[in-house]
Amino acid sequence: MAKIFVVKTQVGQEENVANLFEKASKRTGKIYSILAPKELRGYIFVEGEDIDTIKRIVRHMRYAREVLDKDVKIEEIEHFLFPPSAVANIEEGMIVELISGPFKGEKAKVTRIDEAKEEITVELLDAMVPIPITVRGEQVRILKKEGE
Amino acid sequence: MKACRKCHKLTTRSTCPYCGESTSEHWQGYLIVIDAKNSKIAEKMGIKMPGKYALKVR
Repeated sequence: MAKIFVVKTQVGQEENVANLFEKASKRTGKIYSILAPKELRGYIFVEGEDIDTIKRIVRHMRYAREVLDKDVKIEEIEHFLFPPSAVANIEEGMIVELISGPFKGEKAKVTRIDEAKEEITVELLDAMVPIPITVRGEQVRILKKEGE
Repeated sequence: MKACRKCHKLTTRSTCPYCGESTSEHWQGYLIVIDAKNSKIAEKMGIKMPGKYALKVR
């Protein structure tokens, strides 16, 4: 029966460790999948038959630190498997603050949302002439909804 | 690496060799499926083929 274990890795080496696990699994077997979510730094999930096989692999692996003793249920990591869209909570007319890029700190009004590209088009509130700027959904923080 | 917009499989090509859909350079999250039959994660994601996948593709 498959169980999911948490493996601690060196920060920034999550994908590398996942690849090394894949390579090691060809020798050991009993590893079914490896998951490295973007939101989680310094940890990956390894799904396998038992913890001993994973511990044995980690012992000889560069960038991997340790295996946490308790396994996790699939329901606990489900939100990593289906990450929400970066524009999911954004609506046209909302007032947002740009949190990165050349206009960092500026307030702007959302004029268009591109769901597929997860981009939004905004107009800066303090600009003399309204110039549309397209930014990624992660680059803004919602300040006010329309009509608030 | 690029990810298929439809099946999320990672490839170096500009069209997915498995489903023919276009691929994108903008992807996040990394999943390697080794044994799709026994993997609960693969089952949850609806993956039936071993390989490398992205969790999110833009």
